[in-house]
Amino acid sequence: MTIKWVLHWQPNVGTSVNSQILNEVSQCVESINGVKEGRWKATLTFYKPMLRDQSLASEFPRDFLGIMVPECPNKYFFVIRAQRIVLEADSTIQTIMEKLQSYKMRVALNFEGFQYQLGDFQLRVGKVVPTHSENLRGIVMEVEYLPISSIEKSRQIMEEFLEIWQEALSKRTLPGRFMHMEPNFTEYGLSDHYSSQHTAVQYANVMAQLIASVQSVQSMRN
Amino acid sequence: MECVVQGIIETQHVEALEILLQGICGVHRDRLRVHEICLKNNPNLGNVASEVRLLCDLELPEPTWTVKHLGGAMRGAGAEQISVLVRSMVESKVSKNALRLFNALGYKLDHELLRVGFAFHFQRGAQITVTVSSVNKMLKLHATDEAVPVTPGIQLVEVTAPASSENYTEVASAVSSFCEYLAPLLHLSKPGVSTGVVPTAAAAAVSLMSDDFPRTQPE
Repeated sequence: MTIKWVLHWQPNVGTSVNSQILNEVSQCVESINGVKEGRWKATLTFYKPMLRDQSLASEFPRDFLGIMVPECPNKYFFVIRAQRIVLEADSTIQTIMEKLQSYKMRVALNFEGFQYQLGDFQLRVGKVVPTHSENLRGIVMEVEYLPISSIEKSRQIMEEFLEIWQEALSKRTLPGRFMHMEPNFTEYGLSDHYSSQHTAVQYANVMAQLIASVQSVQSMRN
Repeated sequence: MECVVQGIIETQHVEALEILLQGICGVHRDRLRVHEICLKNNPNLGNVASEVRLLCDLELPEPTWTVKHLGGAMRGAGAEQISVLVRSMVESKVSKNALRLFNALGYKLDHELLRVGFAFHFQRGAQITVTVSSVNKMLKLHATDEAVPVTPGIQLVEVTAPASSENYTEVASAVSSFCEYLAPLLHLSKPGVSTGVVPTAAAAAVSLMSDDFPRTQPE
């Protein structure tokens, strides 16, 4: 039984993320009595098709993602957002993809940080960095509520918790805030009963938001 | 990686084969009903021609899906000398929309089959699986209820065992020795090397079907 919301840090207009914000957020979790439990990690990989004729690239998905979520180290998830497809697979699917030699890794990102216990809630705060780099690309937070697995039934308690959390964080006057953009799970064929596939879809969504916010900063600079 | 051999048997002797397998293995058979969908890559996609199989186990209350990739056979003098085929094999259990995902990635249906029969899983020097099945083709897309046999009166027997680069010679020899027990009823060889039905099958079947045959594994 569990339900999870994955949130991303939305910097205020004209600002960007930095590690100081991450430190402040972690301190804030501890200030509301979050007990540090250990590290967590998720990974997200963008795949691109290996094409003989690049002019036909539009026939293949541009947003094909492979995701490993913290709660299922032996599973691997594929998401194609544009077509609302999520697939759960044993992690051996990665070997199959390598053997097919039809898609290759374009870029991989790690989501990693510390996990905290707070009563019936589990919080995971982490940075988004490319693998083999410390270049901070974003900040994410997972809010997990352990006693309920229905998305609808848990909505009120999740919203109330987030309200308390946002209020605690607002005292630190940070240049941005955590945003929760819930994907339409029904479009992916997922039910109200929460599963790791829901988590994978949320990560794909958070990634899209991070890219959009980076692109908007870049367009402002230009 | 896996070691594999295949053979064929006339449907009329399948019951005798089942009795023989039951006697040798000492385990009960599992029913087998698998929808196999073979997909091939779009010609513009990938460095090489590739294919992937989606297997849907229809025997379970809730159909379950597996993605399977079979690689090329091991080559070289060592591989020639052993009587079983050693090839790379990777499987991954997946959720139900694997076909939709692979279609979106540019993999299209090449052919589909329905295998109906039974399987024995047991440990005998290696983790051996024997499947005996009739191979059926679908007259309409995905219509597993309207499947018809590809080779009426003939069933496919396949013996497989998972192996690794460290132990494949031991596994291959375990599979070979096991196949000798089945020799009166059928001959098993590397896939693609057809040896047909064996002439002794009818007599062996009669003997196996008689009440004298011990139905449990001999001491």
